[in-house]
Amino acid sequence: MKRIFAQCYIWLLLIILYAPIVFIAVFSFTESKVLGNWTGFSTKLYSNLFTGDMQGTGSLMLAIENTLIIALIAAVVSTLLGTIAAIGIHNMRGKTKQAITLLNNIPMLNPDIITGVSLFLLFVFLHISQGYLTVVLAHITFCTPYVVLNVLPKLTQMNPNVYEAALDLGATPFQALRKVLIPLLKPGMISGFIMAFTMSLDDFAVTFFTRGTIGLDTLSTYIYTDARKGGLTPELRPLITLLFVGILILLIVINIRQMRNSNTEEK
Amino acid sequence: MKKFFIATLAALMICGCSEDRDHILKVYNWADYIDEELIGEFEQWYEEQTGEKVEVVYQTFDINETMLSKIELGHEDYDVACPSDYIIERMLRNDLLLPISRDFGNTPDYIGNVSPYIMDEVFSKIEGGGRNANDYSVGYMWGTTGLLYNPKYVSDEDVKTWDVLLNPEFAGKILVKDAFRDVYTSLLISFYIDQVESGRKDLQTIGFDASAESIAKVEEYLNSFKDNVAGWEADFGKDQMTKELAWLNLSWSGDAQWAIDEAAEIGLELKYAIPETGSSVWFDGWVIPKYAKNIKAASYFINYMCMPENAVRNMDVSGYVSTIGGQEILDAMSDPESFDPIDVSYFFGEQADSVCVNPVMYPDKRIMSRCGMMHDSGTEDLLKMWSRVKGDSASVWTYTLICIVFLALIAALIVKYAKKRYRRRRYAMKRRKRA
Amino acid sequence: MNKRSSWALPYAIFLVLFVALPLILIILYAFQDGSGNFTLANFTKFFTDADAIGTFALSLEVAIENTAICILLGYPAAWILANKKYNRSAVTIVLFIMPMWINALMRTLATAELFHMLGIQLGKGTLLVGMVYDYLPFMIYPIYNILNKMDKSYMEAAADLGATPWQVFWKVQVPLSMPGVISGVMMVFMPTVSTFAISEFLTNNKIKLFGTIIQENINSSMWNYGAALSLVMLVIIGMTSLLQDNKKEVSGGTV
Repeated sequence: MKRIFAQCYIWLLLIILYAPIVFIAVFSFTESKVLGNWTGFSTKLYSNLFTGDMQGTGSLMLAIENTLIIALIAAVVSTLLGTIAAIGIHNMRGKTKQAITLLNNIPMLNPDIITGVSLFLLFVFLHISQGYLTVVLAHITFCTPYVVLNVLPKLTQMNPNVYEAALDLGATPFQALRKVLIPLLKPGMISGFIMAFTMSLDDFAVTFFTRGTIGLDTLSTYIYTDARKGGLTPELRPLITLLFVGILILLIVINIRQMRNSNTEEK
Repeated sequence: MKKFFIATLAALMICGCSEDRDHILKVYNWADYIDEELIGEFEQWYEEQTGEKVEVVYQTFDINETMLSKIELGHEDYDVACPSDYIIERMLRNDLLLPISRDFGNTPDYIGNVSPYIMDEVFSKIEGGGRNANDYSVGYMWGTTGLLYNPKYVSDEDVKTWDVLLNPEFAGKILVKDAFRDVYTSLLISFYIDQVESGRKDLQTIGFDASAESIAKVEEYLNSFKDNVAGWEADFGKDQMTKELAWLNLSWSGDAQWAIDEAAEIGLELKYAIPETGSSVWFDGWVIPKYAKNIKAASYFINYMCMPENAVRNMDVSGYVSTIGGQEILDAMSDPESFDPIDVSYFFGEQADSVCVNPVMYPDKRIMSRCGMMHDSGTEDLLKMWSRVKGDSASVWTYTLICIVFLALIAALIVKYAKKRYRRRRYAMKRRKRA
Repeated sequence: MNKRSSWALPYAIFLVLFVALPLILIILYAFQDGSGNFTLANFTKFFTDADAIGTFALSLEVAIENTAICILLGYPAAWILANKKYNRSAVTIVLFIMPMWINALMRTLATAELFHMLGIQLGKGTLLVGMVYDYLPFMIYPIYNILNKMDKSYMEAAADLGATPWQVFWKVQVPLSMPGVISGVMMVFMPTVSTFAISEFLTNNKIKLFGTIIQENINSSMWNYGAALSLVMLVIIGMTSLLQDNKKEVSGGTV
């Protein structure tokens, strides 16, 4: 009895939580401009999205492109920066370590708007004209901490002597890094990369403040401008649906992997 | 990996490289307010006319104040901007504008195409600290403030006065444009319309009137219908009207026209009317801000936008009404099949006292005589009044809740601290006992 | 100190430049006027502006209510999820975490559209529902995490010593899970106060939250006032993080 009640509660919450997304997904299969008005099944919005045959596509396509490029650059740079930094931090002791971990935590604790405003002020202060570069820098700022956080535990788990052993056996530091450290840190780097990538994809507030006035749009700022005019462009419905499905698959894959990992570790 | 580095480097270089400012024209305009193809065509045209190359950097804003403060406080070097009426007035007073040169060499001067109504009746009335606004700005688009309504629910009779907003039948179905000056001036003009008709007050004085008494009057009126209001829209009114989520929208003629077209596509009829008791007129104009760096290209750009064919194209794309008058525009705009003849002689000249144009875009002369322009006065007081009216903000409950939570937090911290000390002391005592 | 600690140097410089310096700039700008002179005017302006204070108070109210509802709804959910008796599959947890990975703006718009379709008038009620909908996963996840990792032997011990299940729950499990609740509060409360855009979409522009005021001021080049408002928010963050034990790290954000 209790079990059924608990199950009901969980599923009820999930249904409520997912209702709007499901609602969008359902209505991505009809042509109607007005959400909530079913005018028959159609995949026209999907084909519009892919062929780019719709109003104002240029800017939507451009926004998607920007989003992906920015997310890729930010994720790659922050993975590299974060991994190297994590190795350094791991080898640190005392006050310096505390200070750097504290600084590393700040972007994760700060609300987006504070990160956005503070970086905005920085760029104003340094007279850097805002655009692509500033957005990428800002994204790296809030992505790297997550990479560091994902790589550090792997370093703690690692046998500290492996790297030294490689050096003793005649590997150059670079070889030791590439052949020994990187393979060991890879799982952490990958999950850090994925987190950085999704964080960047997801971001709205920081982009909003650092993009300047050159008309640079990422998907979220595009949606913001679009929504301020009222309602979503119909083509955003299939896009949101696809993104949702994509993230769902990605998360399931990650979780299965993690479960497998932890299973093998337990054995 | 390499590719990413190259991409990063490329991104760095695109942003980092210094620009050749003489060949750049920075335009700062409202969003969705131009046929963007014209921008590229202008670059071509400019080269043909002057033999010089120019690249237009086009940026947009959606709030007047954003634009103004960027120029005034940020000293941004936009070459052309497009502020609204009262902002032009303020910029003139604060000495932020450069005169627009109409010396175009062999190129014709199209600025003269601006309707005399806009030049003489409107721009010349701008109080620019002794300067004539016509020397510093050129009209771009204009329109009125009125009511967009869905005739399924709201009758033509209803919208003859602003009092329709008070009607409880429409509670929760009314949207009001989040533009305090437009709403204020429109209502104020309608309050005083009898005195205007009898010649005891004129529209210009009302446009400047921000006295405590007038503000209180408007505030009282706004408060009497604010419970009916479903939202204060910045831009989403047209969308909610076409979706029939709202039935009545205090809005601008340009937005209204856009919504009417959009609704017609899905077979829904929307209408726009200016209440007969009077309303306000607004307009936006091109200006060259003080910090501009490419004044020549700026004036050519403004000139180019005044070419009748370009004006028509901008109208088609934006749905707003160009300030350009003349026979060419009149021919393009008349459509005897769709519209009844009205008197728009004030705009197109005397021969146009009975032409078939869209009354949403060009209202009849009789109605226009009761519409006045807005002036830049009492901004602070008006803003305060507006936020008092809109303010669905803090209530007694708000402050009580905050106080309770705050006190609870402090109490929790004290308890935590006290417990810690108590434990420590007990621990110390135990140790002492054992010893 | 060994040689490889210097590997953190580039990142340390990066952090100083892009994290520390910007925060210092907020403080700096907050105490300056437009021409760079020291002033307290930004703060006097805030504390005397009834509208700004009202918005601030309202934001706090909405955030408190939102956090409270999230705890009330989220704690039982996390408890059920962490309880092996009721939930054996990891998929349900993934399902709860998933919305965290979708743009809040999109979720909000979807919610607003749903309200439109159901014909529900937008206002404070819809704002709260939308906010709960946006932030509930952020509450469930940390609580679930801590409940899941909790050593079950404490509960068993308590039960063995004669505590009723109800007592076990209130006297053992709840106090032990407090750090999770607190990090949940951190992840719900501050973001609610600071959101901009979301409240406008959910209330047809009827209700503005504090984040919007900051955004409006920054956007219209009132940097100093905007910085002062941000500083007020930073102070609130500092106050809420007092609740947290310094030793424990925030357990949010990871998959």
